[in-house]
Amino acid sequence: MPLWFARGLRRGIVTTRYPARPDSSAADLPTPPAFRAGLLDHRLADRLVAVCPSQALRRDGAVLLFDVGRCTACGRCQEAAPGAVTPSGQFELAGTSRASFVKRIGLVPEVAG
Amino acid sequence: MSATPAPAVPDEAALAAQLRQRVASQFRRSLHIRTLDTGSCAVCEQEIRLLGAPHYDLHRLGFFFTPAPRHADLLMVTGPMIRAFDVAARKTYQAMPGPKLVVATGACALGGVYPADAFVHGAVDEILPVDVWIPGCPPSPLALLQGLLVAVDRLAEKVSGLTFTAGEAAQ
Amino acid sequence: MTTLQPRPGTTASLLSAIGGAAPREGGGVVTVPVPAGQLETAVHHLAAAGARLADLFAADGGQITLRLVWGLDTERQYLVTETTIDAPEYPPLSDVAPAAFTEECEIYEQFGVRPAGGKPLNRVALPPGAGADFPRLGHQPPEAPEEVHAPHTVGGQAFEFPFGPVRQVGVESLYYGLVTSGEEIVDLYLFTWHKHRGLEWRLRGRRPAEAMFLAERTEGLSATAITWALAAAVESALGVQPPPAALLTRGIALELERLYNHAAAMAALCQSTGLSVGQAAAEIALERLLRLNAATFGHRYLFGVLDAGGVRRAPDQAALRDGLPGAYGELRRAADALLATNSFMDRLEATGIVTTEQARRLGLVGPVARAAGVPIDCRLDQPTAPYAEHPPALAVRDAGDVLARFRVMLDEAADSVRLIGDLLDAGPGDGTAALPGGGGSGLGWAESPRGEALAWVSLDEGGRITRARLRPASVRNWRGFDDAARSQNVFTDIPIIEASFWLTVAGTAR
Repeated sequence: MPLWFARGLRRGIVTTRYPARPDSSAADLPTPPAFRAGLLDHRLADRLVAVCPSQALRRDGAVLLFDVGRCTACGRCQEAAPGAVTPSGQFELAGTSRASFVKRIGLVPEVAG
Repeated sequence: MSATPAPAVPDEAALAAQLRQRVASQFRRSLHIRTLDTGSCAVCEQEIRLLGAPHYDLHRLGFFFTPAPRHADLLMVTGPMIRAFDVAARKTYQAMPGPKLVVATGACALGGVYPADAFVHGAVDEILPVDVWIPGCPPSPLALLQGLLVAVDRLAEKVSGLTFTAGEAAQ
Repeated sequence: MTTLQPRPGTTASLLSAIGGAAPREGGGVVTVPVPAGQLETAVHHLAAAGARLADLFAADGGQITLRLVWGLDTERQYLVTETTIDAPEYPPLSDVAPAAFTEECEIYEQFGVRPAGGKPLNRVALPPGAGADFPRLGHQPPEAPEEVHAPHTVGGQAFEFPFGPVRQVGVESLYYGLVTSGEEIVDLYLFTWHKHRGLEWRLRGRRPAEAMFLAERTEGLSATAITWALAAAVESALGVQPPPAALLTRGIALELERLYNHAAAMAALCQSTGLSVGQAAAEIALERLLRLNAATFGHRYLFGVLDAGGVRRAPDQAALRDGLPGAYGELRRAADALLATNSFMDRLEATGIVTTEQARRLGLVGPVARAAGVPIDCRLDQPTAPYAEHPPALAVRDAGDVLARFRVMLDEAADSVRLIGDLLDAGPGDGTAALPGGGGSGLGWAESPRGEALAWVSLDEGGRITRARLRPASVRNWRGFDDAARSQNVFTDIPIIEASFWLTVAGTAR
């Protein structure tokens, strides 16, 4: 198959060096949110819980529980609160303990404005 | 090997972790992977197929796919564990000889998208003992590679140390 | 919706032949109520006039309403007949029986109504032993449907065995019943109940915006097409027009979806024929296209782009213009090399033939139908913006084999690149028209990479979904798979045929 062999040689190597080196294609991937705790009050938190389509957010008193395992990085929470919720940029999310995926984000009593 | 019951004593916890690491490290540079679809939307499967593609090439890491559960070390499970499928899931797991690992792959497998109801169990760990969880919808091939490397103890997991609050540096 | 005035043409004469009360027209769809007593004659007239049965489904709003969706492809219209069924049986639809069979089974197990005539109906979507408390859209049928069994034997010498649902690595779970005589495939029947997630049941009571998230995941590889069909159904129900720039964006997303799916099908074809270098070349193209999707719309599989009323994201035009030529170039070079590789071409030629007659009789859609000489494409046949202003070229072949389907996909990929360029030049953007209050019902459609995807929705006065019908192309086309497998093929041809159909189990089982 000289046709394929020659093509392959000309093409060169496209293989990622990950994990030895970071891969630039990761920059375009959608990532779970990061929350600015000082900007989230109970009311906003409840709105975020209602808008999440994947059961990743739950409020427990003065704490917003974020299960990053259930997150699909759909961005709806970010759309609902653009200043308070931003992309985390994290895509290396594998874990060995299910409980470690549930993050506790402290809420403030009320945010002015 | 995959089922470690909740330890009652701190020593047991340390022992269980050590045992898990020993098991995982057996597969460090030679791992055979069987996939299992418990009800996905088909996109997770497409990302998994790309692990063998030139851009990712899982063979360079000593990872291989195998269709035979008898030859498999690791079961990579997608989907929300549809109830009508759970017998097939258990049989596939039971057909794998120990030691073996189970990786729940994608948001559906981790309890997202579909809550538990009459159609689905909701998460893979309702039916199978899971060792590693990989979030994403779908998890990209890079995320899948990280998950597999964590499963065989070649990369440390990061997620437990992340807080997902703003101010944390993105990689 | 306005009341249709009589007008010359095939549609009007069809409507008068069908009878029934005054038809309603809206958004390129004519809806006509047909009394149960006239349904059989109406179906006969429609089938005789060459109308294509695109879908058949029921809804339970107190009484069962049966809806048949017909593609009047030469009239640039869809026709929906609505029939109230107040008995356990409805008239037999013998004229469209092969095209309607799977849907009749689905309606029976979900709603408990069946066609008269006593023909056996199979269990299709629900798991074995699903009792009265299993979630259904209607009511449990009085008698359980039959379990599928092979109808064929070969002089008593056939061997029947089940295959799957756990099968080769990296593919969806799928359960075949294979009937063989030696190596030759005598019969093949498919089960998909192990992947039934109850999507239509889940959408009830939801607002359109919430429904989009689940609709995307009906068949993730057709996320754009299915959400487009559902969004268009909602927009038709509420009389909403998305902003023109948003419709251009939808077109770009749909053509990108077509491109990457065809690249993935090409990779699967190479894998099925054991041509690893070809597979690698196709996968390089596929990966570049997925990265292009991520750079353009923020998701490798285009999730989260469409919304009811418009689109949530505008494309990154610079990234798309920059990346498309290189990504398509990889696809083209891989395809050219494959077309010059005789050992590969030999496996494809005369394999998995679907005849024109089979494609029409079964109501197949997409590249499978077009490769069998059936010239249907809902971007052309029922054009809406942006395709009305930017029509695609129709890719039709008539050999009906795997090679014809491969060539159709390559022609479509080339045309998609051209279309994306035109749509970019026309000025795409984001934006969503607000949904007004109130209810209504409507039909929506989009040409997915696998063929016509349909959705029908009814909304109550509070704007919540009372019934959503999702009909990805996979629902239509799997029934053509056993015909294609039976035509003188052997075991080793099954993966090749499967790759050329490029369907999903998720889209069928929903």
